[in-house]
Amino acid sequence: MKKVDPNPTFTTVKKTICPFCSFGCEFGVIFDDFGIRGVEYIKDGSSEGRLCPRGSAAALYLNHPLRLSMPIKNGKILDWTKLGKDLKKIFDKPAKVAVTFDRNLTIEDYRSIISFCKATGVENIASTYFEPEALLREFFGKPFSVDDINKARMVLVVGDPFNQTPMFSKTLIEWKLSNRKNRLVVVDTMKTPTATFASDFLKCRVDTEPLLLLALAQENIEGIDVPGVTGVAASTIADISKGLHKDKDALIFVCLSFAHTYDSMLLVEGLKRLSAHTNKKIIPFVEFPGFEGNQRFGAVLEKIKKKKVKYLVNFGELFPFYYPQFGKTLRGVSIFATAPIKHKDHTVLPIALNLEKQGTILTNRGEQALSGDINPASGARMVNDILDLVKQTKIGDGAVALPEVKVDLAERAKKIVARIKTPKKKKTLRLLGEKIAYSFLGLFGEEKLKINPLDAEALGIKPTDTVSLKSKHGEADFRIRLTTDVDPGIAAIAAETPEVKGLFEYEVADSMVNFVPTSVEIWRKG
Amino acid sequence: MAKRIVLDLDLCCGCRSCEAACKAAFKGEARIRHGDLTGEAYLPLACKHCKEPLCLTVCPVDAITKDEATGIVMRSVMICIGCQSCAYACPFGVIDAPLVRHVSQKCDLCNDREDGPRCVAACSSGALKFLSDEEINKHQIGMRMVSKNPFYRRNA
Repeated sequence: MKKVDPNPTFTTVKKTICPFCSFGCEFGVIFDDFGIRGVEYIKDGSSEGRLCPRGSAAALYLNHPLRLSMPIKNGKILDWTKLGKDLKKIFDKPAKVAVTFDRNLTIEDYRSIISFCKATGVENIASTYFEPEALLREFFGKPFSVDDINKARMVLVVGDPFNQTPMFSKTLIEWKLSNRKNRLVVVDTMKTPTATFASDFLKCRVDTEPLLLLALAQENIEGIDVPGVTGVAASTIADISKGLHKDKDALIFVCLSFAHTYDSMLLVEGLKRLSAHTNKKIIPFVEFPGFEGNQRFGAVLEKIKKKKVKYLVNFGELFPFYYPQFGKTLRGVSIFATAPIKHKDHTVLPIALNLEKQGTILTNRGEQALSGDINPASGARMVNDILDLVKQTKIGDGAVALPEVKVDLAERAKKIVARIKTPKKKKTLRLLGEKIAYSFLGLFGEEKLKINPLDAEALGIKPTDTVSLKSKHGEADFRIRLTTDVDPGIAAIAAETPEVKGLFEYEVADSMVNFVPTSVEIWRKG
Repeated sequence: MAKRIVLDLDLCCGCRSCEAACKAAFKGEARIRHGDLTGEAYLPLACKHCKEPLCLTVCPVDAITKDEATGIVMRSVMICIGCQSCAYACPFGVIDAPLVRHVSQKCDLCNDREDGPRCVAACSSGALKFLSDEEINKHQIGMRMVSKNPFYRRNA
């Protein structure tokens, strides 16, 4: 009997670059006339066929049952022509409009948006990519090569790239195991998968990473006892700082999580100073490098409050749906937002996503081209097509600049110390966000809340319990995982869904929206 | 020659790429599970394709068969009645029996794919390998961790 071919020939496999993080892995997309069917692991590709959970799940994400195929307004289907007319009307009053974008744009998309704004006279352009990692864009410079790491004897890792950019793990683990003298130093507030491989794990208290980085850069801030505040011994700080100086090939990798610090800008400043002091380059690992507008989103929020902005047009996939805490402030504006799946609120426009896109993306290996000719069969449109509904413009150089912010180290560092010294309310924990590739946009179900067994005992919580968590912005239920990876007083969870992200508080400083470690009440459910 | 999925405990970083690759390929139902060893190491658990499989022995409807040439222990979706006998019999606890579809999930080493299992292809840290018995004997998998500490601790 003839064996049935499980892969019929009408599907095509095309090589492309994974657009889900900055590592730039090469893989195959299996597609047919009905859309993208799956991915194939290409052994001779740049990543030797390996892929992280986000890449493997790309087709699941694109073919999600709730995938949006037509524009909808408050839940009702809207014709593209009608939508075009609505958009044209609002862009007739450009002073009242803010154009924003979150992550996952190609370089061409971004340039189109900027050219469009310049042509239509929109002056409020801002990024709604609030993750602190968006600040790392400035460190993307010379492409990183895997050979760079083999020369190094010391590697400093800030954060947890093994969870967020797992594709980096093979290189680093093999490097560490290849020579006993290779020293992997990890800085984090909790024990992460990256930290389990560390030769030296500098576990610092919540929100003290910026101070630790400044101490490693030998920046002395008067009146602040860094070892006392961070919990890392002075001798260890001196030893690591000396090691970074001594090894001319040492590298500094950074991978920032969500809501881990009250002052992301100070943390990035700490990295800059460490880089300058040790003469080492910073290599960032991010989910998406992101782009900048001509102002920060905090400035747009102010204008919304003062009713200077009445319409908000967002290109991306998360904002405002993943950040319910902005709901109150945004009540007075009409929102047109691109999104991958159906949402009841606002006017939602279906947008082409990752593998369906054409253009180039910025990665650690430099600018890389996406496959280009896999058109979305989902009914979604490219950013350019949506902009063309209003006005056709040529893609320009797309350059806008953010106003510079001067970071006052002493003032900001003292704020951190003051927060640490503030007594905590009883029965509250500090909630930290994690970035875990496997939890990407909640594709594979719910994540567990990590708490320390001592806290669980004090709160009368058992390992099999479900707990309720309440913050200023909302309430949610989670299953728990008791682990000593997190210190007492801390609760940590992957912040990848609106239910979780919606719990975090944000602060606006220097017009920058920063999600911060959040006080939460926690109790056993039922 | 029969090949198996082998885990190098020294390398696994717990990213669950293997599980995601399996889920994506098999309609959201992963056939590889995931555990961790007291927070010190991570442990993807795949079917071992035993030489004398207990799941095959207990199956009341002979839905599970073993291909002697390839060593793959396969389960037929058409015959399986979802009684969960195999799930209880498996000494490694790697057979999952979801209640929704009433069909046991069983790894078949992605025999629809020429290059071997997807979990091995996707493994981001190179911890999962697809090796024959001969190749397995040449490797000393996880020896660094074992030699450091009898309790398999990565940090001595």
